[in-house]
Amino acid sequence: MKRILIALVALGIFTSLEAQEEIVLSGDELFGDLRARHIGPALMSGRVIDLEGHPTNDRIVYVGSAGGGVWKSTNGGASFQPIFDDYVQSIGKVKLDPKDPDNVIWVGTGEIWTRNSVSVGDGLYKSIDGGVNWKKMGFDKSERISSIEIHPENTNIMYVGVLGALWSDSEERGVYKSEDGGQTWNKVLYIDQTTGCGDVIMDPNDPNTLYASMWEFRRTGWSFNSGGTKSALYKSTDGGKTWNKIHNGFPTGKLGRIAVAVAPSDSNILYAVLETQDENKRGLYKSSDAGKSWTHLNSDFGLVVRPFYFSRIVIDPKNPDVVVKAGLFGSISRDGGKTFKGLGNMHADIHDILFDIKNSDRMYVGTDGGVYRTWDGGTTMEIVANLPISQFYQISVDNNEPYNVYGGLQDNGSWYGPSSSPGGVEARDWNVVGYGDGFRVLKHPSKPILYSEMQGAENVWRYDMETMSTKTVQPLQTKGEEKLRFNWNAPMAVSEAQPDRFYMGSQYLHRSEDMGGTWEVISPDLTTNNKAKQNQEDSGGISKDNSGAENHCTVFTIAESPLNENVIWVGTDDGNIQVTKDGGKSWTNTTANLPANVPDNTWVYHIEASVHGEGTAYAVLEGHTTGDMNPYAFKTTDYGQTWKSITTDQIYGFARNIQEDYVNEDLLFLGTEFGLYITVDGGKNWNQFTNNMPPVAVHFVDLQKKTNDIVMGTHGRGVIIIDDISPLRGITQEVLAKDVHFFESEPAIIEETSPFGGTATEMEFVGSNGSNDVKITYYLKKKHIFGKMNMEVQDESGRTLTEITPGKSKGINVVTWNGLIRPPKLAKGKSFAFGGFTSPRMPAGTYKVVMQKGKDTYETSVTLVNDPKSNITQEERKANQEAVIKLYNMSEQLAYMVYQIDEILAKAEEVKANGGSKSADAVIKELNDLKETLVVTTGDNYVASAEPQLRGKLANLYSKIASGFQAPSASELDNLKLLEERYEKARNDFSYIQSKRVPKMEKFMEGKGMTQIEFKSFEEFIDE
Amino acid sequence: MRKFQLLFAAFAVITLSYASAQDVTVDEIIDGYFESTGGKDAWRNLKGMKISAKVNQGGMEIPLEIVQLADGKQYTKITFQGMEIKQGVFDGETMWSTNFQSMKAEKADTETTENSKLDMNDFPDSFLDYKDKGYTAELLGTETIDGAETYKVKLTKEPRMLDGKEVEDVSFYYFDAESFVPLAVDQEIKAGPQAGAIGRSTMSDYQEVEGLYFPFSMTQGIKDGPSQPLMIESIEVNPEIDAAAFAFPAEQASPTGN
Repeated sequence: MKRILIALVALGIFTSLEAQEEIVLSGDELFGDLRARHIGPALMSGRVIDLEGHPTNDRIVYVGSAGGGVWKSTNGGASFQPIFDDYVQSIGKVKLDPKDPDNVIWVGTGEIWTRNSVSVGDGLYKSIDGGVNWKKMGFDKSERISSIEIHPENTNIMYVGVLGALWSDSEERGVYKSEDGGQTWNKVLYIDQTTGCGDVIMDPNDPNTLYASMWEFRRTGWSFNSGGTKSALYKSTDGGKTWNKIHNGFPTGKLGRIAVAVAPSDSNILYAVLETQDENKRGLYKSSDAGKSWTHLNSDFGLVVRPFYFSRIVIDPKNPDVVVKAGLFGSISRDGGKTFKGLGNMHADIHDILFDIKNSDRMYVGTDGGVYRTWDGGTTMEIVANLPISQFYQISVDNNEPYNVYGGLQDNGSWYGPSSSPGGVEARDWNVVGYGDGFRVLKHPSKPILYSEMQGAENVWRYDMETMSTKTVQPLQTKGEEKLRFNWNAPMAVSEAQPDRFYMGSQYLHRSEDMGGTWEVISPDLTTNNKAKQNQEDSGGISKDNSGAENHCTVFTIAESPLNENVIWVGTDDGNIQVTKDGGKSWTNTTANLPANVPDNTWVYHIEASVHGEGTAYAVLEGHTTGDMNPYAFKTTDYGQTWKSITTDQIYGFARNIQEDYVNEDLLFLGTEFGLYITVDGGKNWNQFTNNMPPVAVHFVDLQKKTNDIVMGTHGRGVIIIDDISPLRGITQEVLAKDVHFFESEPAIIEETSPFGGTATEMEFVGSNGSNDVKITYYLKKKHIFGKMNMEVQDESGRTLTEITPGKSKGINVVTWNGLIRPPKLAKGKSFAFGGFTSPRMPAGTYKVVMQKGKDTYETSVTLVNDPKSNITQEERKANQEAVIKLYNMSEQLAYMVYQIDEILAKAEEVKANGGSKSADAVIKELNDLKETLVVTTGDNYVASAEPQLRGKLANLYSKIASGFQAPSASELDNLKLLEERYEKARNDFSYIQSKRVPKMEKFMEGKGMTQIEFKSFEEFIDE
Repeated sequence: MRKFQLLFAAFAVITLSYASAQDVTVDEIIDGYFESTGGKDAWRNLKGMKISAKVNQGGMEIPLEIVQLADGKQYTKITFQGMEIKQGVFDGETMWSTNFQSMKAEKADTETTENSKLDMNDFPDSFLDYKDKGYTAELLGTETIDGAETYKVKLTKEPRMLDGKEVEDVSFYYFDAESFVPLAVDQEIKAGPQAGAIGRSTMSDYQEVEGLYFPFSMTQGIKDGPSQPLMIESIEVNPEIDAAAFAFPAEQASPTGN
């Protein structure tokens, strides 16, 4: 646990405190139970890198995801749970100890299918308790670990393949060996700082025999190279001491990435997939002599496609002729690699395949869109529906209630869905609004229109959310213009000042005043226009790979000032921060004003134009595509004439995005490669937010203005929300010095929507909802451990309405009250009257909240308000409440009457036993007759239930009316009248028996010296 | 109350001495816990407890009576609309619960029952004489729980059976670094759709009952996720409970009778 201390400085207002020592709090002391919630989605899931099975228990399966951590299934892949949430979420390899697979798990971090948008890892981790706790085991600078192999008999002997840094030279590459269970490591195969280990595998029948594929590769922001003279396939037969190339049968010339596998059932059979210069020599090679010689078998598209992305081949553990190759669609051969057919229909981009240990017809497949299962050898595929590892590039929110979240996903289109939904945010709640790789999705500020895009602005759609019609509206090259250069992740922006205005950035800034119908270029080329970085058709290395993902010297971020529509900021991927103060007539490049420690051409990832000043803005720069992993965030208050760094060394990893608070200028949220950081003092101190927030790459942070929710687009864990961060606005030294401090509570709207919802099965991911309940938020100076601490809601007269359980954490506690009080106490019966489980709702108004902590009492108040959108009148509400109270009271009075009847009956039986049949028999008969009309005395709670009597009928009507808000219907009122009459009759009957029959019995009792009947008071009865 | 304060002063002394010793051992933590809460002898002499508690579900308070005896017998009784429903009843041999539909007693499956037998030696606390039970405890380090510094201790008990397969029984306790009382317990959920997730229980509001300290407020849920609070109103130590309360009802009234 990182223990970053934060000094929360007073804002200069509380001079009396200045001399005192500052109160310092770490993140887990300050954030208390402000807690993130995840809404997925999981319906299209996200990129999976590696699958790992258990050697003997086929119920257990592990998934290593590209950006969403490690997930474990204990039910044969039916559903998964995350088990690596405190650590870096980008995974290269998961491996179980062969001797203790239930407990010992190894995780190599850093994804290894090296597309442009990959996240980074930070080393090797080990768990010795099945994934509950983890320990770092070195390789801090490895960035990407491709393989882990463990000696089956002596598990202290291990090998790790380090692919290493993607964007820079690194000496932490190659094959490493440990002979002490990972305590120390020796590099046993190293080529050079550009060549990493793509794979190291162990012959399952001879642990001294190893095969290692070495790969020369490099990415920059504008190109990719796979292959060179140093890529090769090696073999060692002496436990890694010596290595020899095994290329007999391979073509000469440069090689690229190589996949290799040895058949578990026959150590002589190997398959390798080669990326070669000669197009005709690419694809599948097979050896039947443990690598001494190779035969080229197949160059089908599925075997040669994008080696950097798909270099994995998996052999059926039982049959060496059954081979599955990762690829765009995935291919399977059942004739030893001679011919292949496609796998069944699933998400494209297959990265790994796992065979079930017992039944080879059962397989798991990891794709860019999650994990799929097959029961028929790959012919038909079914998605795992609870892996919310979706990878957002961008998100935005609207102002609906509940608000929607919009965003685009890596290889998974563009989407929008609600932040809350009845029963939770499910797959069915999400709407798809674009193909391909999705990036930004922006809602028109006032109309039911949204804009979405696919990679490189190949298409930009204007989507009508009511008619679901689309129109493509991207700016295209016009006469006199250079070819437009759009980033893979092309920037778009809308304007709050002019709702129909829409911006896009190529190398220019384009502005439309008619929602993309017509465009005007309002800038010169704002980039460095470095021609050396614009040769994308040459990208890829020995296999051409010109997807558009490497387009460079482009505009990447656009921000119009919310205070002045003529102030527009533009940031470019090649390091320029440009600003115009006249709506684009003139531009100033402010890059030179950045502090000197920022390397030239560092990617300007995000600019946030502030609401706190026209000249105020934040810029987040990042240089990870040059190997620079430092965070850069700057603030200007003078239109970029000066930029001041607001980061500290408390931040781990590079940052991509910043969000300011709209109220407190010093409250900022920074999205980094390893999670979310928060400052409450303008950047003097930063704290990582870890409450249900994994250190996942946060690509975009937004703040919903009405709810004060922080909404994050993460690249690996979907959309993550922190509800209502407003308490952080009030964190001051004065607050921190108090034992207890209540923050102002916003009035809560009483929700009138139906409770219906929830169609997901238990195997599907369901995002948790935010709470609409009234929030009681307070700061505790110290965690409460000893003595009573409780909280109750009271009406204005001080009468207790309900008890709620207070939070007891040091820091911020959030307790909610749903506006309900206890249900009526019902008469004792033989079965339940289910209507009696309904809690009555308190009407709109102000309520006291009283917290008792030891001997101290603290008080605050909360307010419930009716939904302003509701069309229910005050009179109707009043009629509802009156009926509810009437039925509630009648039910409790009935309960008391039945209690009295039971007491008298008990006594009457006693009298009878004492020879008083004469006076007792009539009492017993008449009371039992009466009781049978009041409560059921037979039956069960299901289909053997008895016909309800007065208790059940009262409870039934009560529940119907109390569950709603409207005035009772005419039918309900008629029914109420009927029940009132029955109730009155019962009362009269009971009075009659009490006055006419019981006195005789009492006289008998007196004569016998028996104790008289004594009733608890109504209040005592209710409170017991 | 005076007793409480005295005990509290004792914690402070323990804290000072342990805080200066960086190398606190797991047994010092466990001993400190029992010392803080009444002493090992007092815990060993405890014959049973009856807990009156309530859980609150969406405004509805559900009253519970939880009985646990030193010989492993236990039940939880819920009272609703005058009807008593028993859950998790164990007489040392048979585990049973009331079915909510039929209101009749039904036996738990054999595996659940056998696992319950493994817990018979856990009264009043798994850590009491844990070595004699064959358990192991290991100090893993320190961790902040709800803003309080704690020692994290791994407790390994007898393995249990799950769907026909043996699984380890491991839990992680977080002992307050000042007072040594446990503030939270984590345990991997082994069955159901959430298998693999970490379940977390928390304890607070420690109060004294006849010389022993019990947490009067608990929560149970998913780590970092939602949880259900349990509020304890009173604890009766060494209660007199009729053995019949634990026995599986020999003959049950038919649903249409009575």
